[in-house]
This record gives sequence, structure tokens and C-alpha cells, in this order.
Amino acid sequence: MLVSWKWLNDYLQLDVSEAEFCDRVTMAGLNYDGSESVGDDRQLDLEVTSNRPDWLGHVGIAREASVLFDLDLKIPPADVSGTGQKISDYVTVTIEDEAFCPRYIARAIKGVKVGPSPEWLTRRLETLGINVINNVVDITNYVLMEIGQPLHAFDLAKIDGAGVTVRQARPGEKFMAIDHKTYDLEPNDYVIADEVGAVAIAGVMGGADSEVTEETTDLLIEAAQFAALPVRTTSRRLKLKSDSSYRFERGVDPEMIDWASRRCCELILDLAGGELAEGSIYAGSQPQPRKSVTLRLPQLKRILGINVPADEVERILSRLGNDIESVASQKITVIPPSWRRDIDREIDLVEEVARIHGYDKIPQDAAVKMSASHRSDADRVRNRIRTLMVAAGMNEAVTRSVVSKEWSAAFHGWSKAEALTVTTPMVRGEDCLRLSVLPSLLGARRMNEKFDNTPIELYEIAKVYLPRKGELPDERYVVSITSGRDFRGLKGVVETLVHSLSPDVRVTASRFADSLLDVEQACELKVDGKTLGYLGLLSGSAQKAFELQQPATVAELDLRVLEELTVLIPQHHDFGTYPTMTRDLNLIVDETLAWDQLEATVTTSAGELLEQVEYREIFRDTKKDGPGKKRVLLTITLRAEDRTLTGEEADAVRDAIVTSCEKQHEAKLLG
Amino acid sequence: MSLNDFIRELDNLVDSAVERFNDAVDKFDGEVLEAARVEFLGAKSGKLKSAQKGLGKVSKDDKPVAGKRFNEVKQRIEELFESAVAKLSESGGDGKSSEAFDVSLPGTLLPVGHVHPITQTIEELKDIMGRLGFSAVEGPEIEDDWHNFEALNIPLEHPARDPLDNFYLNAAAKAAGGDMLLRSQTSTVQIRVMENTKPPVRIVSLGRVYRPDEIDATHYAMFHQIEGLMIDTDVTMADLKSVLHLFAKTYLGQDVEIRFRPSFFPFTEPSVEVDMRWNDTWLEFGGAGMVDPNVLRSVGYDPEEVTGFAFGLGVERLCMRRHGVNDIRHLYNNNVRFLSQF
Repeated sequence: MLVSWKWLNDYLQLDVSEAEFCDRVTMAGLNYDGSESVGDDRQLDLEVTSNRPDWLGHVGIAREASVLFDLDLKIPPADVSGTGQKISDYVTVTIEDEAFCPRYIARAIKGVKVGPSPEWLTRRLETLGINVINNVVDITNYVLMEIGQPLHAFDLAKIDGAGVTVRQARPGEKFMAIDHKTYDLEPNDYVIADEVGAVAIAGVMGGADSEVTEETTDLLIEAAQFAALPVRTTSRRLKLKSDSSYRFERGVDPEMIDWASRRCCELILDLAGGELAEGSIYAGSQPQPRKSVTLRLPQLKRILGINVPADEVERILSRLGNDIESVASQKITVIPPSWRRDIDREIDLVEEVARIHGYDKIPQDAAVKMSASHRSDADRVRNRIRTLMVAAGMNEAVTRSVVSKEWSAAFHGWSKAEALTVTTPMVRGEDCLRLSVLPSLLGARRMNEKFDNTPIELYEIAKVYLPRKGELPDERYVVSITSGRDFRGLKGVVETLVHSLSPDVRVTASRFADSLLDVEQACELKVDGKTLGYLGLLSGSAQKAFELQQPATVAELDLRVLEELTVLIPQHHDFGTYPTMTRDLNLIVDETLAWDQLEATVTTSAGELLEQVEYREIFRDTKKDGPGKKRVLLTITLRAEDRTLTGEEADAVRDAIVTSCEKQHEAKLLG
Repeated sequence: MSLNDFIRELDNLVDSAVERFNDAVDKFDGEVLEAARVEFLGAKSGKLKSAQKGLGKVSKDDKPVAGKRFNEVKQRIEELFESAVAKLSESGGDGKSSEAFDVSLPGTLLPVGHVHPITQTIEELKDIMGRLGFSAVEGPEIEDDWHNFEALNIPLEHPARDPLDNFYLNAAAKAAGGDMLLRSQTSTVQIRVMENTKPPVRIVSLGRVYRPDEIDATHYAMFHQIEGLMIDTDVTMADLKSVLHLFAKTYLGQDVEIRFRPSFFPFTEPSVEVDMRWNDTWLEFGGAGMVDPNVLRSVGYDPEEVTGFAFGLGVERLCMRRHGVNDIRHLYNNNVRFLSQF
């Protein structure tokens, strides 16, 4: 809300500096956002919270200042008397839906002279950055900025038929507003209409057909109350915001509508002449009587933590415009003022007292009770994952949860369903809740490639949103990784991660097909039969689709599975102190034999002396071994808990392994 | 061990050494060569060393032949290594003796990753609040109207519920009953905790929240919040101020001051903005207030029995302020050169 310093002084004598004023209103809830000089006046920008529409006019802010600085407030009485024809003789007002328009007050003035506004009025509006149009329109804007009540002046001659109706728009109804743009209305919109059609979008903007021009002589002055929600809906849909819609969306003071109407007419008679029709039309119902609210004084201590003296409470509440109904020893009952529809509970009064008494009086050294707090297991696991990932040279990324359709369909590991979509895209074209974090990381990868950043090693711990029929989606945390390492390099990161969380867990890999991943180098990872996640080299087509220059590998792991396998508190195992013996085995096997099959055979046949089986390398010599064969070099490490092994013992284990491998895999020991 | 076995082992050793050293030369990689050197010629556990142990196990008669063979193999492997070094060296193999060891050459750096600054900020905030007795909790990011609005005392006509101000889910997701949306604040988690917990409650809820905002240097449609909630039989605004003061002192430093400014939030009353005075300026820190009686009632608490406070902070703002980040988009672009700074 832009405020003119001079204007404020129309209602009370502010004998404080602007800085002191701004500080004080800020501490009462009217946050000062800055100010500047406009002509010989000062324009202050005060931020008004949505619960205080009474601050959307100079009178309301002056009223608050009168409480804060203990000053007398003078509001113009706005008494006008009609001398012309009775208004009801030539204008009618019909409200079709009182839920939308609880009340509508119409006055009429004949024989006005429309022309430029006087200098003082021009300057007032200019201080607030409001365009000057003509004296009549300027006056409606002036009163709007004075009391926060929107007003509209129609050219009465251009109203067809007997009067106006507040009604819903007809399907397909078109309307040209005073901005001279045409709007397509829907039955959810409300209009002010004459016999022919809409002359205003209720609460939002008047129409070009009935606007006040230099030729206008007769006026219909509208002051009404419209329901917040439909005004906002219409204003939003048509992208048509106005000072009026802004105020109706927040609510106007139902008991000041008539004052605003009179004030507007008073100023028009003063500045544009004319004759006011006798009386006014009041359509709709009277405002509900206001209900009393009781504040139990001990509640102040209970909520605020401080005592406020009873007479101070009474002073604050009454200065704020509350009618004191009764005062007892421990409670006070008031009727809130008409402009404070936000006060209807005890807690509202507590806040009013606190606000004016001052939050600076609340101590900041209260003895808050001690309490135990625990770090959740999920947090511990995530911290350990981050530590390991960072040690593995991975940077943590944070990417958007909402992605394009294309990205949401790029990987199908977790769900084959269509992604959930939001009604408003997060950025253009991105409206799908992601089913995998991988595409987002690949997007980040492309961006980094563009800047020649190396190495690009990224991970993110974030949610995917897997649709479920008739239920909230399965929001699942994943650890998602993209790397410039090759398949085994990234698999090594994943295995290191898993082993760091639980040393004894075995991750198994099986072939996995997805368009994102290379046909050969892609796998599903499992732990105890549960899917841990997916890992692979990016397929050629995906690399192209993500516009990546370099090959990349990706992996995505289910955080829940990692959480379940994590050993949060490792237990000590006794370990032997005798040295190890190692043996290398170079086995010729069928090309089709997978490492984990071979490893399993080695492990079972090695017996309890086996400490470790290490894969060394594979090479091929088709000349010597024939086609379809490969040589697998592996090293076994042996250790006994109670003695130093002899070479013979180690050889025996090796021989046992070789025998088993010969038997089960037709392997041959090289050499 | 038979002599044949021993000799076979030595032959294998030469074969694989040839392969490894050639590999290093092919790759023109000194590190690979060094690894191969250690593997074969390593003083402690090199394969040659291990093979030497086998020498002790051949029968006495075979020893002279075995020893001779071993020495040949040893020499052979050393030659192989020297020749590989020569091939790798750009000077064409003047020999090791003429190379000067340059101690000023840079060390081999470890590739170290970095935790995202947002995560670092969240972890620090959780840590501080943890020491004040607040346990961290999380909840779903996709919420229903009840948890995101109704239970928080945000009525249907409140502007915060406008479809254009929220990421509502499209019709297909509504089967679960009622509108679903991406949560616009983490207070939803507080509601979920209160619905399932009897007082006292002392938690921080945190995570991603979403509001449709044009993305620019200071706005992003996705951001992070951390919210504190404390409910008990005798919690007052003085407790709120004291907790926030402790929090600010821990996060920003001992000489920090805080102040409350009146504000409005549907789920708290009284509602305040919290400012912190740091380096001689007042910074807006976040919103706070006493939990509105309607909210307490909506989760089945009796506002005559318990009171509580809640506060919420934007993580991005704190993070950016602390690290001097001037554009929020940096946080989500994931440029490695940005991420590596933290």
C-alpha cells in the first residue's frame, strides 16, 4: 500500500518524523518497505498483510497511528443532501445472488461537468502513482485510497433500461472493459448489467460502454460489497487485476460502504457540480450485528509469557476501536469495530494486546525445559551415504522434482506407469512428477559438458513419485548417480557404498533391459532378493537424446533398501593375527561363464580358510585356448585363525578349487 | 614342490609380466607401469618375491637348477621393466640415473566430492535444533487439502489456496479423495506428527516445498523449509523467543539480537516475523508464532490444555546469505564448478 505522508496528516497531526513513524508502524505490523519523494510529498510503501484490509486506505493507517502515537483522529462526516428527483424514480438495483453481493448502494448525480481534477487531487493521486483521468473518475479513486472501499461511477445515460442487476455472466457473454480490451466471460463471473448486457465486471473493472467521459452529465455511483473468492477467481482468470479487485479479495468494511458513497458524492458535487438525487438505493441486507469477544486476562500470561496490566489491556483494546462491553477482575468483553472482521476470538484479542504493548517486552531468556532428541536412523544412513559418496569423488546435486514428459518417460526401472502431472508446469514444459532422478542428473551432465567441466561425477538423494491406483503415490527416496567412470568403475562405487554400510552384504547383478541403458552393460542389483537398484552404461540412443558428447554411466538405488541393510552400530569380531597365503589361479573357462558363478564355486570349494577371492582380469588367447574361451585370473587369500598356513595347505585349497571348477565349469588351470 | 611346478610358475610369471608391462607401454601410463612394477618386483609382496619363497620348497637336488632359473627370470623381468621405463620416458631412455627428482612436482590429488550447500545448511540447522531438543521429521511432498490447508486454518477463500499459487495434481491423481498438491510448506508434517502424537511435541520438519514462481535470481518454484514446533502444557511466546535467540546465537554468533514484528499467518496467532540483527543490519529470518487454537483443535489437542509455538525458515535464504551466493539458480544448476566450492 502506497501512502502519502501529507494525506495521512489530513486525519491527524503527526508530530513525529517519518523515520519514527515508519519504525513504529513496522513494529505494529505495517512493514515499512521504503519511501521516496514525489513532488513536495513523500510516498511511503507499507506492506499490508492479508488479514488487515482496513489498512488499504489512508483512514485505516491514520487510525492505527492514532493508537500508536495517542493522537486524535478526524474523519470527514461526509454528509450530503439530495435535492433532486428521488433516485428510486429512475434507477433500480436488483441483486440476483446475495451470497455474492450482500449489499449494493447506489446514488445518482445529474448535471455534472466532467473535466480535469483540481491540482490538490491530481497531486494526491500522482503521489501514489495513480493515473489521472478526469475529476469524476479521480474522485472514485481518491475515496478508494482514502477508506479502501472501491467505487464506480457509471455514465447514467449509457445504462439501458431502468437500472442495474448484479448477476452471473451468461455463457459466451463478451465484455469490453475500460482498458478497451474484450473479455470472454463465463457463468462463474459476476457482472453488473443493464437491460442490454454487462456494464461492469463486478468488483474488477467497469465497462468501456458506460465509462465517464467529457460528454457525461449524469452519474450512477456504485458502492457495494462483493464476495472475495469469485472476484479473485475472475480477476485471476482474466488476468485483470485492479485496485478494486485487490480490496474485494480481502474484504471491505460493510458499515463504511455508505460513508464511502456519500463521501464520493460530496466530492463530486464540490468539484464537478451537479445535483444529487434524493435518497439512495440500498439493495441487499444489513450487516450482521457484531458479536462480543471476551479476553480472560490470565490468557495473556499463558500465551505471551508476560503479564500486561489490566488497565493497559483496556486502553489498547478501546483505542483500537473496540467497544468495551464489560470489565471484570479477570476478564474484559468487547465488541470489535466494523473494520476488524478478523477479530472474533479471544486469541485475536491476545494478539492485539501483544502487538500494541510491544513484542520487545517479551523476554528472550526464558528457561526452556531440556528435552532429549534423537537423530533418526534414516538421517544417519543418509549422512553415511553422503560421506562415502564425497570420498568417492562425487558432487551432490539438487535438481527439480518436476520434469518434462520426455524425461519422465526416459527410465522405467521403478515404475512403468505414466507419471503424475501437475496443473501448472514448474518451468515451461515440465509438469511430470519424476519417476527417476537419472534424467535430471543427465541434464546436469549435459550442462557441465557444455562448460567443459571435468570430471562430472554427480549424485543426488531425492524422491521419486511412483503412482499407485486409488492411493497416495509411493514417494520413495533414491540415491541417483551419474559418472564418467566405466561400468565396473561405477559398480565399484556402488559396491563400496553398500559394503561401507554393511560389510557382509552381497550385491548380486542380473541382466536388465531399459532403453536408457546399453543392452550389454546394464544390470539390476539385488540384495537378499530385494531390488536395490539399477546400474549401467548409457545406451547410444540415450546418450544422443541427452545430447552428451562422452559416454556416461548411471546408477539409481532404493534408499529404503540401503537403510534396511545398514549396520548402524557395528559389532566387534575377533580376528586372527596369523599371516595370509595367496595363490593366483589362471583358469580357462567358457566365455559364457559369469564371474559370480565362478566366484561361488571358488568360495564353496575353498572352505573355511578362504578370506577373500579377488578378480584380477580376463584375457583371451583364441589360438591356444580355442574360440569361446576366456582366461580368468583370480587371487585367493587364505588365512587360518590359529596358525600360520603352510604352502602345502594353501596348495591343497587351490587344488580343491581347481577340481571343483573343472567339474562344475569344465575349467582348466592354465600352465 | 616339484621342479616342473616351480619352473612352470616362473614361466607364467614372465608371461604375465610381459603382458602387464606392454599394457603400460600401450597406455603410455606411468601409473600402470608402477603398479606392474609393484606387482612383480615389489620388495614385500611382489610376485617375484613370492616365487622366491617357492625356491625353498623344491628338493635339495633340484635347487641349483631352480635357483639358476629363478635368477634368469628375475633378470628378465627387471630388463622388461627397464625397457618399459625407457619406452615411456620421453628422452628416449637415457636411463634412470640421469633423471632429476623434482620434489616441487604437484602431488597426485584425490578426487574429492562435495556435499551440496543446501544439504550442508539443512544439516547444520538440524544439528543446532537437535541440541535444543528438537527431533527432525519428514513427511510426504504430495499432500491433500486437509494437511496443506484445512488443518492449518487456511480457509477455502484464502488466497494461498488459489490454483495458480499451487502445484495441484491433475485429475488422475484425485482418486484418493480430494485435491492433491505438492505441499506449499512443511507445516504439513507438523500436522501429521500432531495427529499421531500426544503432547509434548518438539520437532523440526524439513524438506522440499513448491510454489509456482517465475524463476529468477531470487525466486525458485522449488525450495526448502525447516520448521520448528513445540507443544506442551506451558509453552509461551517467551519460550519461542528464547529458543530462536539460542538458535540465532549458535548459527550466527554470540552477539546476535532478535526481534519480533507482528505479521499474519493462518496457522499461528499471534504471528510474527523474526528479524535477526547481524553485522549491524536487521535480516528477515522467518515467520513464527503461537500455534492457532484452531490448528490445535483440528489435530485433536485441547487449546485450553496445551499451547505451542511454531516457526519456519527458508533454507535457501540462510544458505545464500552465509555463503555469499547471489543467484538462487546457482543452487539448482548443478554446475560442478559451483558445487566444488563448498
